Amino acid sequence: MRTISRRRFGTLIAATFGVVALLSARSVSAHHGWGGYLDAEFEITGTVESSVSLAGPHASMTIKGTDGHVWNLVLAPPPRSQQAGLKDGMIPVGAKVTAHGHRHRDNDRYEVKTERLTWGDKVFNVYPDRS
Amino acid sequence: MLDAAKWLQGSALGHFMRESGVWTYAIVNLAHILGVASLFGSVLVLDLRLVGLGRRIPLAALADATVPVAVTGFLIAAATGVGLLVTKATEYVGNPFLAIKFPAILLALINVLVISRSDAWQARGQRELSPREHRRLAVMGGLSLACWLTAIAAGRLIAYW
Repeated sequence: MRTISRRRFGTLIAATFGVVALLSARSVSAHHGWGGYLDAEFEITGTVESSVSLAGPHASMTIKGTDGHVWNLVLAPPPRSQQAGLKDGMIPVGAKVTAHGHRHRDNDRYEVKTERLTWGDKVFNVYPDRS
Repeated sequence: MLDAAKWLQGSALGHFMRESGVWTYAIVNLAHILGVASLFGSVLVLDLRLVGLGRRIPLAALADATVPVAVTGFLIAAATGVGLLVTKATEYVGNPFLAIKFPAILLALINVLVISRSDAWQARGQRELSPREHRRLAVMGGLSLACWLTAIAAGRLIAYW
């Protein structure tokens, strides 16, 4: 009885880890961490489409880039973004901003993990240890 | 799908999640993880027993200890999960991991229903189970583990899409 259950247990563990491995293999892009973004520094300027939102796992905002695309700017987590001086909705729609950080690895995704946001003479270093 | 997500995002809970302070999401996230940990920790022990590990421990006693923790953990995880989802619901439209996670949870819950209604489970602590009943419980225990592991793995990976 004991040996049978051990064998069954082994198969089970192997199967479940197989499922997990299969799932993990698919994901390379990332919201969290920097792995999903290119190593090269990236900068994009545009006008605010939707203002700063200090909600969710990361603060965010969208801008209409000078290249015509709508860019999703992923900022630091809300407490850290707030510490950098950002407030909910503080930059008005239409204002000109520049985001400096790293572009998403997927070329079809207009997303920047932002380290530094510049609005006029204001600079928000949401990841001060990186920029 | 997008309409449903917009509606969720615009709900009172969505507003609360976004507008009640910068730490709200993190705290709800913490509660979600504690719920998942309680659920999976207790389910893991019970399912391994069903599969056949540690037969010396009476199933009835183990069930008494683990099932309430699992149920409480699930309720906490489910309630907080709704909060996390509605915060920015529209961002999750098209996320393939959600499409894996929710069916996995549904399957796990159906499995719970099947186990709890089975003769083998209901006879626990009252009589010796037949080898066939042991096998049945083992299969359902294994299925349970596979479902919850898939749900947790897919859940974690939602953030990495």
